[in-house]
Amino acid sequence: MRTCTRLFGLLVAGVPLGWAPARGQAPVVQCEKCHGNRDFITGKSGGPQDTSLYVPAAILQESRHRGLRCSDCHQGYEAGYPHQVANRVVPCQTCHEAEGRDWQASIHAANAESQGDAPNCVRCHGSHSVYGAADRRSPTHPLNVAALCGSCHADPRITGTYFATPGKAQARTAVAQYFKTVHGNALTRDGLVVSATCNDCHGAHKVLPADSAESSVNRHNIPATCGACHVGVAEVYEASAHGQAYRSGRKNNEGHEAPVCVDCHTAHGIVRADQPQWLLGVVAECGSCHEHLYETYFETYHGKVTRLGFTLAATCADCHTAHDMRPASDPRSSVFPANRVATCARCHPAANENFARYRPHGDPRDRARYPVLFWTWLFMTLLLAGVMLFFGTHTLLWLTRIVIDRVRGAAAEPPGTGS
Amino acid sequence: MTPQPLDAASRGEQPYLWRFTPLQRTLHAMVIVSFLGLVITGLPLRFAYAPWARVLVRGLGGLAAAGVIHRMCAIITFGYFAAHVGSLIYRVARGTSWKRILWGPDSMVPQGKDVRDLIGMFKWFLGRGPRPRFERYSYMEKFDYLAVFWGVAIIGFSGLLLWFPEFFSRFLPGWMFNVATIIHGDEALLAMSFIFTIHFFNVHLRPEKFPIDLVIFTGRATTEYLKDEHPLEYERRREAGALERLSAPPVSRLAYVWSIILGFASLGLGILVIVLVLWAVLH
Repeated sequence: MRTCTRLFGLLVAGVPLGWAPARGQAPVVQCEKCHGNRDFITGKSGGPQDTSLYVPAAILQESRHRGLRCSDCHQGYEAGYPHQVANRVVPCQTCHEAEGRDWQASIHAANAESQGDAPNCVRCHGSHSVYGAADRRSPTHPLNVAALCGSCHADPRITGTYFATPGKAQARTAVAQYFKTVHGNALTRDGLVVSATCNDCHGAHKVLPADSAESSVNRHNIPATCGACHVGVAEVYEASAHGQAYRSGRKNNEGHEAPVCVDCHTAHGIVRADQPQWLLGVVAECGSCHEHLYETYFETYHGKVTRLGFTLAATCADCHTAHDMRPASDPRSSVFPANRVATCARCHPAANENFARYRPHGDPRDRARYPVLFWTWLFMTLLLAGVMLFFGTHTLLWLTRIVIDRVRGAAAEPPGTGS
Repeated sequence: MTPQPLDAASRGEQPYLWRFTPLQRTLHAMVIVSFLGLVITGLPLRFAYAPWARVLVRGLGGLAAAGVIHRMCAIITFGYFAAHVGSLIYRVARGTSWKRILWGPDSMVPQGKDVRDLIGMFKWFLGRGPRPRFERYSYMEKFDYLAVFWGVAIIGFSGLLLWFPEFFSRFLPGWMFNVATIIHGDEALLAMSFIFTIHFFNVHLRPEKFPIDLVIFTGRATTEYLKDEHPLEYERRREAGALERLSAPPVSRLAYVWSIILGFASLGLGILVIVLVLWAVLH
């Protein structure tokens, strides 16, 4: 944060690097005569107010802006020393028009104006050392972005100020969580630059909170945002029951809205779908909307062993697919009657027509839908209750009889006369 | 007064009399080991939602290991079942008549006397009659025995269905696996509930026998034990002059200690299972 303010200060202070009347006009002033001097600082006291005005030539040479003259960015500096300054703001937007416009619309710009501590161009891109996102040295290179954003978003002073409300709780831990999950791992551990980093989902310049309709991470825009990389999955999702229901705003029998990507995968806690953590957790995710199916699943062998932490048994997606779920009445559904044998056979290679008549959500309490299960369950329950009740009575009466006889025997027979 | 032996079958007037053959004792030991193994490994599945279920599975070496133990115990179960049926056939082949096995005084088949004994016991409980006098097997022992027959058949067959679903689906519809799941779990719950409370009380824990009766391990019991528990059998043997022939030496120290260990371990495990079941049901 201190670096943040200092750099920002550097910008608005409008470091006087040179003077030129306008682009392309003589005379050219050689700024480096002063600013190439390592010892060039403002003030003479050597105190904390002093600011270094030294700009190493090497930095400028490697920068993407090396063809520019100082005055292209530092406009409004008049001749004479020290420079008289009419306008200290470096107008990046003059050249980077779209980016500037996006930033102006962002939550960062709003906070930069009101609070003074949100990032502007320099904070993320650097001042003289602008390399461009493709350059490994740039803070905006994919491998550096999470650390860059994290320099504020993992800072308790920032998160405590902007994300203090319970509704923003997720944002407080987002960066730390990101590094432990599939996208973050791919970047930091595998060095995979195509993996999503902060700006891939949130945008680079037009960063907006999720509750803003224009935000790329607004619920309504999530399928498009994730789909920008996960093209195949997005296509399948859009055609699925979930995608269709989401577009039409239709709710399920239990009154729940259809999910978008983050409802199942979370935003920052995304894990690989072959990890135990996911396999065991996703059932609860599905179950948070499909409550009845969730309960009945746990009545079956699949559900019971999954509940105990065994990851080989079928979970929701194994039968219903991960993204292409459709109602059983849809001929394209994996659980459409004609497709069931193939679906079962994914785990049970010898599955046949008979096998596929297993009821993976069979509910013995549902007499109307599963009469055989109901009567079996009722018979077994009555048998259990009957046997235990009969012999329980037998046992209790027996115990009572023995106790009564012993008490009576002890009373009739004075102690010491027995065997 | 000398302290009473822990073993109810070692108390009172001697000599010891033989009651169970080595085969019967071996088969019952197989029943104990396999049944406890099946219960301990099946319980976490039946009560997967219970707070102790995951702990138990971890203790068993994971769910895959529990599954292997369960199936191994199932094989032992089928083994003792087959051995017992084989021994019956062997007896018939050696000249014992079917009639005697089914209807003789040593029969395991419920008869008129068992119904009268049952009614007589309830009368005695309520103070309205003398305590019924049993032959070699009381109606309770017959019930235990037939419950194992019924249980092994029902739980065993439903278990095979669930073990080999692909094979059985060649001729059974898939919903039979739902039915088998209910039957397997509920019948097992009945078996463990009965064995670990009623059977334990009848055989070990009722005040006359407390804390344990080792006759099924040592194969022998004192004359007094036979007079108390099976008076009609005692009288029949005495009249036939067979008591001499049944006379057995006292249990060796080693066999006694092992019987005590196996007996108490089984009792303890069974009672622990009942605690776990109640915990799960009441949770």
